[in-house]
Amino acid sequence: MSELEADKLVDGTLAWRAPPAPLRSRRLATALSNAWHELRKSRTASIGAVMLVLLFGACIGTPWLATHDPIKQNYRERLQPPSEKHLLGTDRLGRDIYSRLLYGGRRLVTIAVVAVVLSLAVGVPFGVLTGYFGGLADTIGMRIVDGLLAFPGLLLYLLFVTVAQAWKLEGVMIDLVLVSALALAGMPEKARLARGSVLAEKQKEYVEASRAVGDAPVNIALSQVLPNIVSPLIVTATVRLGFVILIVAALSFLGLGTPPPTPDWGADLSAARDYMETHPLIAAFPGLAICYTVLAFNLFGDGLRDILDPRLAER
Amino acid sequence: MLAYTLRRIAQLVPVLLVLSMAVFAFVEALPGSIVDTLIGTEGGDIEEARAILTKEYGLDRPVHERYVLWLGRALQGDFGKSLVTRRPISTELLSRIPATVYLASVGIVLSMLIAVPLGTFAAVRRNSAVDYTAQVTSLAGISIPEFWFAILCVLLFSLYLGWLPSSGYVSPFEDFWGSLQFLILPAAAIGFRQAAFTTRLTRSSMLDELSKEYVDTARALGHSERKVIFKYTLRNAMIPTITISGLQLANLLGGTVVLESIFAWPGIGRAIFEAILQRDYPLIQAGVLVLGFIVVVMNLLVDLTYRLLNPRVKFA
Repeated sequence: MSELEADKLVDGTLAWRAPPAPLRSRRLATALSNAWHELRKSRTASIGAVMLVLLFGACIGTPWLATHDPIKQNYRERLQPPSEKHLLGTDRLGRDIYSRLLYGGRRLVTIAVVAVVLSLAVGVPFGVLTGYFGGLADTIGMRIVDGLLAFPGLLLYLLFVTVAQAWKLEGVMIDLVLVSALALAGMPEKARLARGSVLAEKQKEYVEASRAVGDAPVNIALSQVLPNIVSPLIVTATVRLGFVILIVAALSFLGLGTPPPTPDWGADLSAARDYMETHPLIAAFPGLAICYTVLAFNLFGDGLRDILDPRLAER
Repeated sequence: MLAYTLRRIAQLVPVLLVLSMAVFAFVEALPGSIVDTLIGTEGGDIEEARAILTKEYGLDRPVHERYVLWLGRALQGDFGKSLVTRRPISTELLSRIPATVYLASVGIVLSMLIAVPLGTFAAVRRNSAVDYTAQVTSLAGISIPEFWFAILCVLLFSLYLGWLPSSGYVSPFEDFWGSLQFLILPAAAIGFRQAAFTTRLTRSSMLDELSKEYVDTARALGHSERKVIFKYTLRNAMIPTITISGLQLANLLGGTVVLESIFAWPGIGRAIFEAILQRDYPLIQAGVLVLGFIVVVMNLLVDLTYRLLNPRVKFA
């Protein structure tokens, strides 16, 4: 007797009931193993997935994995090489580099994930609706998107950061400004992609069928068309995560991120420059950490693209 | 083509308007009035200065009138004066543009010199050691932060080996060979990173072309493999590569802030970065507007070139 039949037999109807706990966990295990099976098709994706699991594990487990307070200075133990007490050594103020890396990574990854999720949340409905309805809304919408795309490189973030500094914002508020700038800058890409896919999808029969049965246009656009264009969006979002991490690190490298002593890969790397000749390892660790993180997202995104679009995988 | 070009130019107008509004809103979003910032640097009779400045910047008028006033002046190249140097912003920015153009264009040329042969070879010898190396290197290239790569280059070539200066700038018109010494490290840092993107693109568009039927036809007709690749496929495969390199160049003109500040390169990106540190708001505003304008125009030029190179694209 299959699991589905067991569900049905409880009261003889098809009414949905929450499956018992062991069944639920078994189903989760099946879903995970299915996902893993799909991932195995691409070596890049599986390497990326393992790297990401380690990364997110370290971010979640930071309070337990860290051996020292990342901010506490200890002048007696300045610029120490890696040792049993300080796994990756100490920086110019005697702070434990390993613990700083963990806390800095947790913050950086959180900022990047929130920013990308936010840009999807704004950009995708924007693109889907302008693409689906077309006409004037489309024209105006796409000009706004073009205007946002006209900001080259870091400039949009520089403007936001300048305003944040002028208002003398502190702590979380600076991060919030940064997140909204990143989300705004990432929005056009998602909107354009979503719009492009919607234009192709709109011609298909199921849309016509939905229209024929009298579904509301907004409903068709968001609950019927949207699910069909998800895969390119997931790929873009994954690759964008790596890109966002590079931007945030570059901004804090320039000294425009959260002010010290907050652990921050970019800022720590910049501070390590003065000791580069004598203690090159201090500058190596944050740099390697950024590379690892960006590489993980890029590998996963690349592999995912191959899996979701098999035509490209043959290349 | 002409009609298409004109229509694209007309489409630029709303884009530039959005850009200018965003840049204008930036200064509006600053706390307090710009007059207070200005007064801080002026000194003298505060009340009188306040009245004059309020009138000069039109702060006694509503927002939309001020925007029109500001935009009108900006269109005539009048961005006001820098709060720090007291010189006209237009001269400040103009004097910084050559260094950025120099660095960005050499960087892009360098990236194409690396990427096109590497990407082509990787595609032709697919799954060979060269292909594998090219793929791994380019994946590493897009994952390494450019500032870290730049620092590592400085560490190796300036501090350890002492071959090249770690930062600075000499104009190529004054001393060409001397200028090259300063150029190599920053241009290599740009070239390597951009080459990573271009190699991947060249490889995949080359593979795309090689799988097309005309290639089989050319081979069946007995053309040598060399001729098939260099005369037929490479030309077609280069179209996306050239387009992307053009877009990269446009982006670099405004996006080399980080490298310019690491290498003390007196370009426009560093000018804006310094203006941020010194709270020189009119200069930031004008700088972003000018760079945005350059990027938009460059993008249009790239798009038009793309259509010239690839007549198959319909002028829709």
